Amino acid sequence: MLTETFQKLDKFLLLCLLLIAALGLIVLYAAVYQGNHAIFQKQCIYWLVGLTVFFIICFVPLRSFALMAWPFYLISLLCLALVPIIGDVHMGARRWLDLGLVSFQPSEMIKWALMLVLAHWFASREPNTWKNFFVAVALCGAPAVLIVMQPDLGTTLVLLFAAIVVLMVAGFAWKWFFGAIAMSPILAYFIWGHLHGYQKQRVLTFIDPQSDPLGAGYHVIQSMIAIGSGGIFGKGFLEGTQVRLHFLPEQHTDFIFSVLAEEAGLLGVTILLSLYALLISRMLSIANHAHTRFGSLLVTGISAIFILYAFVNIGMVSGVLPVVGVPLPFISYGGSALLTMITALGIVMRVSIESKGMIPWQRANNPLV
Amino acid sequence: MLNQLNVRARFETRITLLQLSLLLLMLILLSRMVYLQWMQHDGLMLQAEQNRLNVVPILPTRGSIQDRFGEGLAVNHVSYQISMMPERVNDMKKTMAQLIGFMHWSPRQIRRIQKRIKKSRKDRPVLLADKLTWQQIAPLSARLHHLSGIDVKAGTHRYYPYKALTSHLIGYLSLARPEDVRRGFLRSEHVGRSGLERIFEQRLHGVLGNQQEEVDAFNRRVAVLNQSPPRMGENIHLSLNIRLQQAAAKAMKGRTGAVVVMDVHTGEILTLLSTPGIDTNHFTLGLEKEEWSSWLNNPQRPLLNRTVQAAYPPGSTWKMVTAFAGLRHHSQLARGHTRCPGYVQLADRKLRCWKRTGHGKVNIHDALQHSCDVYFYELADQLGMPALRQEALAWGFGKKTGVLLPRESRGHLASPLQQLSHGRKRTWVRGETMITGIGQGQTTVTPIQMARFAAAIANGGDILKPHLELGKAPEIIRHVKVNPDDLKRVREAMYAVANKPGGTAYYRLRHAAWKIAGKTGTAQVVAMSQDDAHKSKVPSEDAHKDHAWFMGYAPYDHPKIAFAIVIEHGGHGGSAAGPVALAMIQELKDEEDQRTQSHAY
Repeated sequence: MLTETFQKLDKFLLLCLLLIAALGLIVLYAAVYQGNHAIFQKQCIYWLVGLTVFFIICFVPLRSFALMAWPFYLISLLCLALVPIIGDVHMGARRWLDLGLVSFQPSEMIKWALMLVLAHWFASREPNTWKNFFVAVALCGAPAVLIVMQPDLGTTLVLLFAAIVVLMVAGFAWKWFFGAIAMSPILAYFIWGHLHGYQKQRVLTFIDPQSDPLGAGYHVIQSMIAIGSGGIFGKGFLEGTQVRLHFLPEQHTDFIFSVLAEEAGLLGVTILLSLYALLISRMLSIANHAHTRFGSLLVTGISAIFILYAFVNIGMVSGVLPVVGVPLPFISYGGSALLTMITALGIVMRVSIESKGMIPWQRANNPLV
Repeated sequence: MLNQLNVRARFETRITLLQLSLLLLMLILLSRMVYLQWMQHDGLMLQAEQNRLNVVPILPTRGSIQDRFGEGLAVNHVSYQISMMPERVNDMKKTMAQLIGFMHWSPRQIRRIQKRIKKSRKDRPVLLADKLTWQQIAPLSARLHHLSGIDVKAGTHRYYPYKALTSHLIGYLSLARPEDVRRGFLRSEHVGRSGLERIFEQRLHGVLGNQQEEVDAFNRRVAVLNQSPPRMGENIHLSLNIRLQQAAAKAMKGRTGAVVVMDVHTGEILTLLSTPGIDTNHFTLGLEKEEWSSWLNNPQRPLLNRTVQAAYPPGSTWKMVTAFAGLRHHSQLARGHTRCPGYVQLADRKLRCWKRTGHGKVNIHDALQHSCDVYFYELADQLGMPALRQEALAWGFGKKTGVLLPRESRGHLASPLQQLSHGRKRTWVRGETMITGIGQGQTTVTPIQMARFAAAIANGGDILKPHLELGKAPEIIRHVKVNPDDLKRVREAMYAVANKPGGTAYYRLRHAAWKIAGKTGTAQVVAMSQDDAHKSKVPSEDAHKDHAWFMGYAPYDHPKIAFAIVIEHGGHGGSAAGPVALAMIQELKDEEDQRTQSHAY
């Protein structure tokens, strides 16, 4: 069974992951080599743990994830609801929940839980009905309202976009989305009224980062300087002055892309973007050929989150999107983010394994779950 | 149940749509990268360089000012400053208490320092005190390793060793003001404010150097990349003889006045003393407001450089001008003589000679030697104002001498025309021409004009441009043509003033080390204040005493130096100002003897 599963592994997906991992570790080394070497060593350990988890997940039947969908979603929602009551305040926003041993952000967990529960709900249900539309709105709306209240606009938008992608492939007709979009200005007005000053500032700074060169826009300007000064071939490994002299904020987490861009230039950037495109494209292909509809929808949801993370992060550090705290998948330093994403990718791999040699879900009357 | 085929078809189109969206998003990001890394590369590269490079100016050392023997008059002294990096201080209260204990700061200073710390950034050094001497800093620097965040650094500050003696001539510095910053100075630079420090600013200042440093985002220096050293300012050698100036100051005995000594051939100034002076070191060592306002409000006006900025009625020293005018115009009286009964009777008033009993029969020589007023009343009356005025202009009065010192006064020449144009309805009367002839009335001259006049008499009529730079080529502004016989007559009379019994300075100067030719002057102050706005600010008896003048040259046979001395409210010229000349001549003679002795060995 072990060798059989290993033979069924999608080698292309695995190769993409390992290449991104290698590139990510090199960039992380460049980002922290002057200061804290422990960060680099820790990230290596996280990768080892992550890859172990990844291979374990490859042996977990997909059906068990379907069983976990509702409990996982409800627990996440409960944690999210507890944040305003017992959560810790960081940087003016209440996001973290401290459970004694670990402290984590329920808003990170709920994204994956929502993908899981939406995939589970629509695996065997007709999309274009009022009942299912409202179920979907309720499933997305409850966590979205709770996260907006934290307040965390970035995560809310990522959550909603990912959910829309899942509902789209689940088969909702365009008119449902248009209807929802037509309602969105009212929603946006409502949200703006409840935004905190610093979030409004983030959006305003996004519109014109030069307007406040020493305040909120400073990080983005320094990041753009780092990217632009890298040029076509970059300044060379460990040669980036913006990195070395600490002009980049959060250079090992949210702004790590700028380190790559400064030291490896357009060349390095193109390589990373290609690897992301290949990885996610492969994931969508796995979704397309999945044996079950649950698998298809789940893999699409996971892909959507990856796309959004990569796009929002790179867009943010290069000055086309506002600054929201979103990691660069598999590159940014951080154990929990890496483990979560690698687990998600493990589920994708499991879908691929289960679908190997099987017919996609529409042809035969195979069970939907 | 699900209509599977329909849903499957929609699923597949939408997966394809997602694939295309993925491609589109990646292309958007890629084009943004092309824009930043290719099209905007040059500009952003420049910004990255500006980020990391910091050009720190290095202040040049200011040139010194020295007297003719190389004695420093404005020099740079090593001084110390204390600064604090607030973020590195462990216990602010304890540190401040220790600093106060070492430095003995006044409560006001402490408040000022604490305010400065509060206002400053925590990661930048804050200047607590500067211009400290080693004695002041020694107890602290011994304990420095116990006080984290406190730093003591050595630097230089301007020092004027002769203090009040040279304050007007040398001037002082102060930190650059906004208008200087606009002219290109740095805020931390010192700029000459007055005197020679201001006049020679460009030469003394030197050229800024700079150091190119690599700094990080917190503006901490990471490395020094490049250094171009500053160029030191020029050292300026003055023609001034500081020992002569000291001798003059000593002889002034604290009285208010001015002394100018110049070389009769080159126009080099050997002494330029104005008393009282101020200790200009107080400007660099932190001037207290009270001290400044006490200087401003002092009735003796210590900030005024009397040698060039103050104009006095010349008194009897003016009689030489009248004498030259008489000789030039072949006045009968200048060649002949008159009787002095002690006064001249005019229609409505009596003009008195200083000697009530009169001088009897006097010719031009006697009149100068004894300073007979009646002779010159009559001579002036014969010549008339135009001739007197023309003669004064010829000898360089009524105009600036052009010496390189700020705010030079031109003095004033009495003129009937100007009197009318001033809007006063009073007409010029004959008596005014007569008192102008003895240096009373409205005529005023500066001490430097008077010294130059003496030099011109000594060198045969060359009006020199006085200057202060050693070895600079002499500049003759004009040559006054005087008949040699006439010049000889005046010179002989001036010799008699100091060396013949009956001369007004004979008693004081007969034993001078060099034979002096000179002329005393006693300018009446009370007569002036009757109708003139010049109200004396000294509210004492002295206010009514006359200004004492003595001018002349020495040695008589082969003149070297010319001098002019004025003592405000000093009384009689010969007895008040004469001894100053005597002391200076003695000093010059001693120096000459020393030189010949050292040559002999």
